[in-house]
Amino acid sequence: MNPIHLNDVTNLLHQEAHYLDTQQWDPWLNLFLEEAEYWVPAWKSEHETTSNPKAELSLIYYATRAGLEDRVWRVRSGRSVASKPLPRTQHNVNNVMLGNETVIDGVQVLCNWTVHQFRTKPQEAEVLFGRCEYDIVHHDNSLRIQRKKVILLNDYLPAMLDFYSL
Amino acid sequence: MFDLKDDVNFSELNQLIVDRPETGEFSVHRDLFRDPEIFELEMKHVFEGTWVFIGLASQIAKPHDYLTTWIGRQPILVMRDASGKAGAFLNTCRHRGAVVSHLMHGNAKYHVCSYHGWAYDSAGRNVDIKDQKDAGYPEAFEKQDHGLMPVARFAEYRGFMFASLNADVPDLETHLGATKTFLDLIVDQSPQGIELIPGSSSYTFKANWKLQIENCLDVYHLTSTHPSFMKIVERRNSGDSKHALKALDFEAYRLPGVERGSFTFANGHAAVWGANPKPDVRPLFERVDELTQRVGQMRAKWMLSMRNLTLYPNVQFAENASLQLRIIRPISVNKTEMKIYCMAPVGESAQAREHRLRQYEDFFNATGLATPDDTTAYEDCQTGYQAYNVDWQQGYERGSNQLQFSANAYAKELGIEVESCIAGPFDIQDETVFRAGYREWLALMKRGMAKGGA
Repeated sequence: MNPIHLNDVTNLLHQEAHYLDTQQWDPWLNLFLEEAEYWVPAWKSEHETTSNPKAELSLIYYATRAGLEDRVWRVRSGRSVASKPLPRTQHNVNNVMLGNETVIDGVQVLCNWTVHQFRTKPQEAEVLFGRCEYDIVHHDNSLRIQRKKVILLNDYLPAMLDFYSL
Repeated sequence: MFDLKDDVNFSELNQLIVDRPETGEFSVHRDLFRDPEIFELEMKHVFEGTWVFIGLASQIAKPHDYLTTWIGRQPILVMRDASGKAGAFLNTCRHRGAVVSHLMHGNAKYHVCSYHGWAYDSAGRNVDIKDQKDAGYPEAFEKQDHGLMPVARFAEYRGFMFASLNADVPDLETHLGATKTFLDLIVDQSPQGIELIPGSSSYTFKANWKLQIENCLDVYHLTSTHPSFMKIVERRNSGDSKHALKALDFEAYRLPGVERGSFTFANGHAAVWGANPKPDVRPLFERVDELTQRVGQMRAKWMLSMRNLTLYPNVQFAENASLQLRIIRPISVNKTEMKIYCMAPVGESAQAREHRLRQYEDFFNATGLATPDDTTAYEDCQTGYQAYNVDWQQGYERGSNQLQFSANAYAKELGIEVESCIAGPFDIQDETVFRAGYREWLALMKRGMAKGGA
């Protein structure tokens, strides 16, 4: 297997940000393996997030991509007042590093992220920010996301928060 | 807008709520949702004038455990002292006012003010005024109590802690009345009681707090606010979605013979309920045999039913598939903070606990598939209230003709006294259930203003 370089994973993260910002949901979902885990832990105290999604609360936890597919379906359904109109988002990814955890056929990737979003109904801009951990692996001659963990640092949520703002 | 500030004016207050039981008419003036002066008065007379929920005893289980919270506008420190006795105090140093406890929760024998070092123990007593001996304090100062100011009243009912900043309130159990039966249906879900699952979340919405009070008792909004959630559940059941999560299927409530209804109680409290035709999707169902044996078939059935309980004015227990605790904190007339927790019976299986978490996250989280549609609707309402030429809501009259003022069969089954009740098929979706809260609002506002508190 070819080694995965920092540049390759950085490109993948930029691609993900682009798909989210341009609302290209199918290519976005396709960056994830079907068995990909998606996890946004909740906070337990000022400096500690939950660490076990089976026994502690998460903001979002899906053991597979199917949970994200539900959310994309919901956005497209037009039946969710929270998702209509969608906010305009701008995802920025930086401080991308390779992590030390061993990932079979892949690498662990760490990064910081910032999302600026503009909610059109109240005409207000909001900012969300945090860190991410990814497991990125080789699959069918491409790189895919096998695990994404989003640490949301400002978890005092503005009325609602969904995948397109993370 | 009404000008209530200058003097006590009951007739102006009375003009804000139309309540004619003889004709079934009920309406609320929109100024209750949009007038900042009314908001200031209700913080004083409603939130700081009656019992409010401040936490679960299990959140401060051990000596010196503490948590910080709010009563109305005021910061509160809830602590368990060395002897194991819980108490609640205004979280402000008696010296110059800084909060003495800065964290959401923790364990500390002493809370030392970080400004000038005054120290308090976990019973709220002042144990040190820094460099007091040679300070030259006058005798009058030495005679003052320098301890943290306790709340006027503090009490627990089966681990639910309440406090009042107003001493002139009935005993907690009198205040809770028949809602104790509903709290029992929560606590008795396990012989060891219930617990908060670690992790919580907070969110705000730009709308008045009464929208949250109403929403939790509002069955009517379900099919129009949450069709995307209902459809997703249907897609999971049919296999169109590969997501295997078993959630409550609201369509099941439409089955013939499935009844639902509401109760209102004294002191502003109210509950809605729905018989659950598919109790097996609930994590609690694993305990059905144990529950039936311990609490009886009738109460086990009620435990597995859908129940939303609102204890006026600041706490709600929402139970459909999982069980949620919601604490309401008004920030301003058009901003509200919610702190939410997932509750569970102590000792449930790891499998049920995981299922419960996924159901809770799916429906109740502000990052879930239902709550964001509610909060967005509240914000849309608040924007709509800027139509100042519209004074009156038309949202409190569904069910008027079916309303009963003595216990119906369901209240009798539970053995509870009610102010009013209603029951019927799916489409009843009554709105009379909101009236108790507004009647209590008016009573508390009048009581507070009669004391010259305006």
